[in-house]
Formats: sequence, C-alpha cells, structure tokens
Amino acid sequence: MYGGGYIFDEPNRKQLREEQLHDDPEKLAAFEERIAKGEKIEPGDWMPVEYRRQLTRLIEQHAHSEVIGALPEGTWITRAPGFKRKLALIAKVQDEVGHGQLLYNAAETLGKSREAMINDLLSGKSKYSNVFNYPAMTWADVTVIGFLIDAAAIVNQVANAKGSYGPYCRALERICYEESFHLKQGHDALIELATGTPVQKAMLQDALNRWWQPIMHFFGPPDKVSQHSEKLMQWKVKMASNDEMRNQFLDAYVPKIWELGLTLPDAHLHKNPETGRWEYTDPDWDLFFKVINGGGPCNQERLQVRKWAETEGRWVRKALMKPEERKVMPVA
Amino acid sequence: MSNQSYDPRVNRLKLGSTDDPIKVEEGENWNIYEVFHQEKRGAHHEHVGCVHAPDPQLALVFAKEQFGRRKKCVNLWVVRSADILAFDLEDEDMFANNMEKTYRDASGFKVMEKINKFKGAGKQPPAKDGKEK
Amino acid sequence: MTTAQQQAITDLITKMADDELILGHRNSEWTGLGPIMEEDIAFSSMAQDKIGHAWALYRILQEQLQGQDPDQFAFMRAEADFKCCHLVEMPIGTYDFSLMRHFLFDHAEAVRYDSLQQSSFEPLQQLSRKLKGELKYHTLHADAWIIQLCRAGEESYNRLQAALETCLPLAFGIFEPAKEEQELTGANIYPGERALFERWMDNIYPVLVNASLNMPDPAGISPQFGGRYGEHTPHLRPLLQEMGEVFRLDPTANW
Repeated sequence: MYGGGYIFDEPNRKQLREEQLHDDPEKLAAFEERIAKGEKIEPGDWMPVEYRRQLTRLIEQHAHSEVIGALPEGTWITRAPGFKRKLALIAKVQDEVGHGQLLYNAAETLGKSREAMINDLLSGKSKYSNVFNYPAMTWADVTVIGFLIDAAAIVNQVANAKGSYGPYCRALERICYEESFHLKQGHDALIELATGTPVQKAMLQDALNRWWQPIMHFFGPPDKVSQHSEKLMQWKVKMASNDEMRNQFLDAYVPKIWELGLTLPDAHLHKNPETGRWEYTDPDWDLFFKVINGGGPCNQERLQVRKWAETEGRWVRKALMKPEERKVMPVA
Repeated sequence: MSNQSYDPRVNRLKLGSTDDPIKVEEGENWNIYEVFHQEKRGAHHEHVGCVHAPDPQLALVFAKEQFGRRKKCVNLWVVRSADILAFDLEDEDMFANNMEKTYRDASGFKVMEKINKFKGAGKQPPAKDGKEK
Repeated sequence: MTTAQQQAITDLITKMADDELILGHRNSEWTGLGPIMEEDIAFSSMAQDKIGHAWALYRILQEQLQGQDPDQFAFMRAEADFKCCHLVEMPIGTYDFSLMRHFLFDHAEAVRYDSLQQSSFEPLQQLSRKLKGELKYHTLHADAWIIQLCRAGEESYNRLQAALETCLPLAFGIFEPAKEEQELTGANIYPGERALFERWMDNIYPVLVNASLNMPDPAGISPQFGGRYGEHTPHLRPLLQEMGEVFRLDPTANW
C-alpha cells in the first residue's frame, strides 16, 4: 500500500548540497535533458548525488511503510469474519510484505543495502507513513484502512509511477495492479458494514471519525508550508504537490463515503463549485509532526514488533549467511 | 511492554524494550537473485524482479510465491545478480544507429513500388493516384 | 451410501478441515513477522492454502453431507465439536518449531490427499486432484528448509533436532484412529490412519536422514491423542474465541 505523499526530511541536507556542487555540469545537463524528454533513469546511469539521496529516501520510506503497514491489519487476520474476508485479508497483508520486498529491491539498485535500510527503520532514523502509528481497534477500522488508506496510497503511487527512476516505476506498476484488489476488497467490506445492521453502521461511523484526521495527514502538510523543492519536481522524483494529491483523493472518495449515508467529521468539508477544489478544516499539523517524531499512539509498539521479528528471525538468517560469496545489488 | 496492545497477536509475543539496540548485519539478508518468469509455454522467460536468498534452491522456492502467486506462470528461472554481465548504460550509443540501417529491415524494401512500375511501364502510364486504369 | 458411512466420512472430512483451519490460522500469525521477507510471503501463501483447503472441505460437508454453512461451522462451533489434532493447536513458538510442524504436518497432508486421489468418494477424489500441485510446493518448501538449516551449523541443527523431538508425539497424534474407520477402508474411501502413518514415515524418513536428524525410536513415543474426540489443549479455546469474535458482535449480520 502506501507511499504517503510526504518525504520526511533528514537533518543532513547541507552537507549533501555541498557534494552536489561537484556534480559535473555537462552530465547534469544531459541527465536533466533525458528526464525532460520523458526517458527513464536506470541504475547504472550517472545521476546527481542529491537525486540518488532523495530517491533512496523516498523509496526506502515507501518500503518501510509497507512493512509497518502490514502490522495493524495483520493483527486482524485471526479475527477476520468468515472465509472470504479472512483469505482476502491475509492475501492483502502478504501483498504489503511483497510490496516492501519490491521496493527495498528498487532502493537497493541505488546502492543502499536492505540490511542498512532495516537498521535505519529500527533505530528510528528512517521514517514511514504516519498513518500506521494509529491502532486498528475494530473490524470496521480494517475496512476503512482497506478502502480509504489504500485509495490514498493509490493516488500517490499512480503519480509516482510516472516518475523518472526505472526500477521504482517498474515496482509501482506491479504494486498498483495489486492495490486495485486491495481497494476493491476494502470497499466491499466497508459497504457490507455501511449497508448492514445498526451495530455494523455504528462501528463503521466510529472508525471513520477516528481515521479521518490521519487520512487528511496522509499526503503531508499543505503546499504553503511544505519544503519540497522545485528540483524534485523537475527531476520527477516528486510528481504532484501534497495539496494536489489530497484534492484528487477527496474528489474521488468523499462522494463514495457520503453516498453510503455516512458522515465525515468535518462540517466544513465541501467542494467549492467555483474553483472545483475541496475545502476543509485544516487537520492538526502540530500533531502530524509530533507523530512523525515518535509521539503517536503506536510508534513504540510498531518498532518493538519489528524488532521482535528481526530478533526472532536472526538465527535463521545467520545460519544461511555466506559472507564470502560475491554479491552485487539488483541489476534492474 | 506495560500497556496491553489492541493486537492480540502482539500480546502473545514477548516484546523487549524499545531501547534494545538491534542491528542487522550486512549480508544477513543473503545474496540477490534475479528472477525470470515464463507466462506460458512458447513464451520467453522475462525478467520480473529479484529475491534475496542464501542459494539458488531457496531463491526458486521464494520466487515461486513472490513472482508466481498471481497471474499465469508456468516456469521460473533464477540467477545470481552477480553473475549477470551487462553493457554499461553509457554504451547505449552503440545501438543508436539501428533505426537508420533500413537495409536490415523489411520496411527498407519497396517491392510493390517496383512491381507497379514494371506493370505500368508495359501498358499505359499509371494514373496520378498510383492506381492502374 | 449407508448412514454409518456418511457419519464416518463426515468425521474424516471434519477432522481434516479442522486441522487445516487451525494450522492455517496459526501459520498466518507469522504473516508480517517472518524471519525474512521472502519467507514471510511464502509461508503466508501456504497458510492461505490451508485455510482455503478447510473451506473447500467444509463446502463438501455442506453440499454432500447435509452440513452447515461453512462460516458458521468453522467460526461459531463449540470447542468440544472441533476434531483437530493437538499439533495444530500449539502456539507458533519459535520459527524452528513452526517449520518442523509445517514439515511434519504437510507431509501428512500430502500423503492423505494423495491416497484420496483413488477415493471412491467422488468429491474428495476431485478435491485431492485439484490440490496436488499446491501440496507439492508445500513439501518442497518444507524439505528445502529442513535440509538447509540442518546443514548450516550447530545452532540451527540443534534447534531443529529439538523441534523434531517436541513435535513428533504431537505429529503422531495426526493419525489417531477413528472408531468408524473400517466403514471407510472397506468401501475404498480412504486407506485408514495406520496405512497413512506408515506412508508418512516412509516419506519423512529420507528427508530426516538427508538432514542428519536423529529420528527417535517410534516405539518409544506415546502419541498425543484426544483431539479427534474433542479433547483439546488449553491453546485452542482462546484461538477459537478470537476467530469468532467479530461474528459474535452481531450474529444476525453479514460480514
């Protein structure tokens, strides 16, 4: 699932900017011309230091989001009601792990090993989508995640799939195909509750109320405060602004919630008929930054669970390690 | 962990403290194998991605589920990424003039033009639109 | 088909399905937590397959043997009516245990379905033919892991040897004989637990030898029986409660 529109900034930008000064101007011009023509960049190509750094960060965070995203839903596998929902849920959570695998591979083509990325996740150095730092408390939460958060992720991923880096685009092509199943199964499970008994409707409405703010946070801070440079747009690393993607999401999915007789907890939420854009109450952006920095309800638990998994699996991995073997990063 | 999780599975695990340092060693995720799948008999094997595995046998076992669990697939190949030899991308210019060498391509030979010319020569001159009267 | 045969088939299918349902749930607990991503994906697929097999078997009960709706039967049944063996009920433990359980169980499953390809009971015969390829992958996966880890040094070898010793009495419990078994063996519906046990031993033994694992003397192992007659370990009840938790919020609803 889930890129999350926002690339979290790391503190060491200045140092790398200096390195970027050493980028050969001729090669840079050829690189930018290639991207302007709509051609893809491949792993063996020359690329600016900053391009490699930003892409690594973007793809790595996307991969972490998949791996962590498997947790809040994975917890519901044993409880999922009935064979059809259960099998769909396991298959979906499995896909998320699979997406993480594809994305780590894509990031590895840029030179950072999967092991290094996992270490940065565990140490908190590298971030993942904020939305997974909230608990999935009821079955209705699973349907809201499956429908709306996957939908938001699709908006983001479809945009990124048009980016400039070949391996990332190829991974996203397959991911988007599988996401269409996620979205459909999520929508189906959500409709079942929305059109069901009073108990079901109430639990769904409650879940929507709780998840709305994290969903509004999903695409990141408004363009007016977001620090993303023109350069990332020009290099086709970032493909659409946070507000653009948020608007696109609201336009496609708010009507699908309203048509089921459900409400969203923002009285101001509406589409301005003149501008064609959605207007809404700003979610709490201070909270957004607090959660990024570890202050969400589940940050600690998510990382603890990942640490448990890495620790439990270590003997298996170490037993079959062959440090003497020649190893290169994925070729494509 | 002091707090109960909403996740019954998490409550069953014995989670350590978040401060325990855990570092995955370089190489712990094994070597990298490129995966090629064959969608149906008669088709080429095509590159679809890669898996991390300790040896070719487990690479195949893993590739089967990561790259063969959806859609049609009848066969898979794996090969260690380190064993793939490829041209440098900078050498793309070696292929650059392919499209100009029309003598290698069916489109480079205008057979019908010649036939029509031959047929037209023995009879009346062809009409302006190229068709015979 | 006689009433006694019908009952005996129902019993056979129920225990097969309950085994797969419960072990499928157990193994799916590793989804997202596996030792490495690639294995996580593979193990999760096999957990899905097991739950899928259970579903198919419950459908045979429903369609051919006047059984209940599969969802109701699987997720709302009382603990005492479950016929799964104790092996599948155990918590996931560590990966050595889960892998060894997977190895022992999936070979037993493969032997069972293989014998059912000749069953005179058409629905089981068809299902077993359909699942052949899936089971081939499951045992291939299990064999590869067992052999590789046993050859990969002392720690992993010792872990698997210990897991084998823990699992064997439980795995022998898979083959707990049923009272009405001769109803089925006589009618060529299936060959009976004793015959399956022997074929299973024939299949796992070469792999264990290949892995240099020491097979304890079977005569010295007392099988952990009881599951087929509704007596279960304390681990089953909490799992069943979890499995039915959402359904019970509103039993009148569709989920």
